[in-house]
Amino acid sequence: MSEVAIRVENLGKKYEIGLSKAGDLRSAFGNFISKLNPLSNKQLVQSPNQPLKEFWALKDINFEIKKGEAVGIIGRNGAGKSTLLKLLSRITKPTTGYFTVDGRVSSLLEVGTGFHMELTGRENIYLNGTILGMKRREIKEKFDEIVTFSGVKQFIDTPVKHYSSGMKVRLAFSVAAHLEPEILLIDEVLAVGDAEFQKKCLGKMEDITGQGRTVLFVSHNMGAVKKLCNNGILLDSGKIVIIDNVVKVISNYLNVIDRYQTNKQILFQNEEICLNSIYLKDKKGNLRKEFNSLEDIYIAQEIILKNDVPNFKIGLEVVTSFGIKVFSSFHNDRDDHYNSNTLPAGKHVVTTIIPGKYFNQGEFHVNVLFGIHMVRWIYEIPHVARFHINFSIENPYFSANKRDSILAPMLEWSFK
Amino acid sequence: MAEVHYDSRKKGVGLYIKELFEYGDLFLILAYRDLRVRYAQTFLGLFWAFLQPAATLLIFILIFNKAVKVDTGDVPYPLFALTGMSAWAYFSFVLSQSGQSIIGAQEMVKKIYFPRLVIPLSKAVVAFVDFMIAIIFVVILMLIYQYPITLKLIWFPVFFFINIFAALSIGIWLSALTIRYRDFIHVIPFLVQFGLYATPVGYPASLIPEKFQFIYHLNPMSGVVEGFRYSILGIGEISAFSYVSFLIIGIFFVSGMIYFKKVEKVMADIV
Repeated sequence: MSEVAIRVENLGKKYEIGLSKAGDLRSAFGNFISKLNPLSNKQLVQSPNQPLKEFWALKDINFEIKKGEAVGIIGRNGAGKSTLLKLLSRITKPTTGYFTVDGRVSSLLEVGTGFHMELTGRENIYLNGTILGMKRREIKEKFDEIVTFSGVKQFIDTPVKHYSSGMKVRLAFSVAAHLEPEILLIDEVLAVGDAEFQKKCLGKMEDITGQGRTVLFVSHNMGAVKKLCNNGILLDSGKIVIIDNVVKVISNYLNVIDRYQTNKQILFQNEEICLNSIYLKDKKGNLRKEFNSLEDIYIAQEIILKNDVPNFKIGLEVVTSFGIKVFSSFHNDRDDHYNSNTLPAGKHVVTTIIPGKYFNQGEFHVNVLFGIHMVRWIYEIPHVARFHINFSIENPYFSANKRDSILAPMLEWSFK
Repeated sequence: MAEVHYDSRKKGVGLYIKELFEYGDLFLILAYRDLRVRYAQTFLGLFWAFLQPAATLLIFILIFNKAVKVDTGDVPYPLFALTGMSAWAYFSFVLSQSGQSIIGAQEMVKKIYFPRLVIPLSKAVVAFVDFMIAIIFVVILMLIYQYPITLKLIWFPVFFFINIFAALSIGIWLSALTIRYRDFIHVIPFLVQFGLYATPVGYPASLIPEKFQFIYHLNPMSGVVEGFRYSILGIGEISAFSYVSFLIIGIFFVSGMIYFKKVEKVMADIV
């Protein structure tokens, strides 16, 4: 038995933008239909005579992972993290290069793959477990354990469609958590369930990595990556930036986030929208990344819309460095009733103010959300900015350290 | 635990078939899921599986027996038609189910690896339940008409086996084609409807003029249906033309596997 669990050499994956997803017959027909319908968004169906654009989701990837290593893969959206996992789990084929894997692989790119709403919890455990690569006998052995972990024992013979979404997720994760492969590939599945269940999941994940399994873990949750992994790989634009000790790799990644503020680098772009920049400022307009807890934080985003977007909606999410969501806020939250305003094409600067006297001390990350109200999300762009709160002591008796909480708001109190 | 070594450069038919067997549990549970879901929350449940062939049989009796007055020799017409229908019903069910199966499972295909062939193959098991019901129907009719069984019945498993291959060969082709070209979703109902009349289900193949027999037997199901009647009812014979049908099945099956394998590489990217 060799010491290397995964060896990747020269791996690359090319996608062709402009090539309609499902064959030429269809795109030809789709174009015909969209010509007939003046309301349709012509950008959605690419014309087949437009030149194909090549796009390397991953290029020249080389690395080796030793048996028993837990490696975190980090990077911003579109860096190629998920593509890498898809290749290693054999869902898609590489365009260049090759890889070898030594050991039984399970991949977890989503929890609850193949769940069927009409089937009971019991049946879904068997279905989902088998899809994830477990043998029937294995599931039978672990069945009680899975049910106990999920906490849905009472409803195990009820069709899953009657479950709450939280119960579904818990059941799905419990199945996944009981996989026992030699090599485990995980993509951001810890971001499920309530805080308590997340804690439980993280604990289970620590057990798994502690048992000497080889784990590849893709996540935006730096806290979890730091906790679970010893080494890290930072990807950017399909290439490896650094492979090193996880602490070094994370600090490298955080530096990349900070550089967004100073460099004129486009953060995100697709055929609908472009996020040019995001700035964190104080009241006076100075660029900052450390704030005093009393100060207001101004978050300014410069976006460019390629088309007029009706019912456009923009939101912010603030998460802790452990990935716990603190809040999300949307630009139309304060509207009494929903007005269907169209945001015209062109450049917009959107500013959000987070009031002072609100956060406890700590590190926070900002995610940006774009969507069309009540229709769909265009995109979620995680970790576009981060800031640090230093607790300032105005009242010497108000000690942040004694409060074990994310927020430390100073509220108004009164007595009658 | 057995040592598993995977190298993305390696290819091979043997490896692929071995892997298919490793995913045997998945194959069975997917079939189980389909069966459970199919009649979930329907009032009549399994009775629907009886009702459908019964209704088709009634229509056939009206058209071919009463209106056209097809000659089926010593065999009572309902028994004659039902024997053909049992083969055809299995074929058409597997074909239409497996044809759309990969698209139906696209969420799974995009998120997890397994040999994709498991999906269309599992439909062959699902249809087996309907087939059993149709066969029970045939047995009941044989008892009612007191129709004698012949020694030719030992050939029945062979023809049923060919029937499975016929259904899967077209099903595998369609499942791969619908991923590339969604147009084929609309071709499936045509094939099923058209095929019913282009196959000797409601009438004997001998009705077709001699010079068209060859073309007629390019339909893979022509030979299978005749084989069913030969083995169950002991009528007719396995003509040289039937072998044309069987050959076509073989060609479709092998080419279907090759095409499927080719599309499988890009399935998750284009589905």
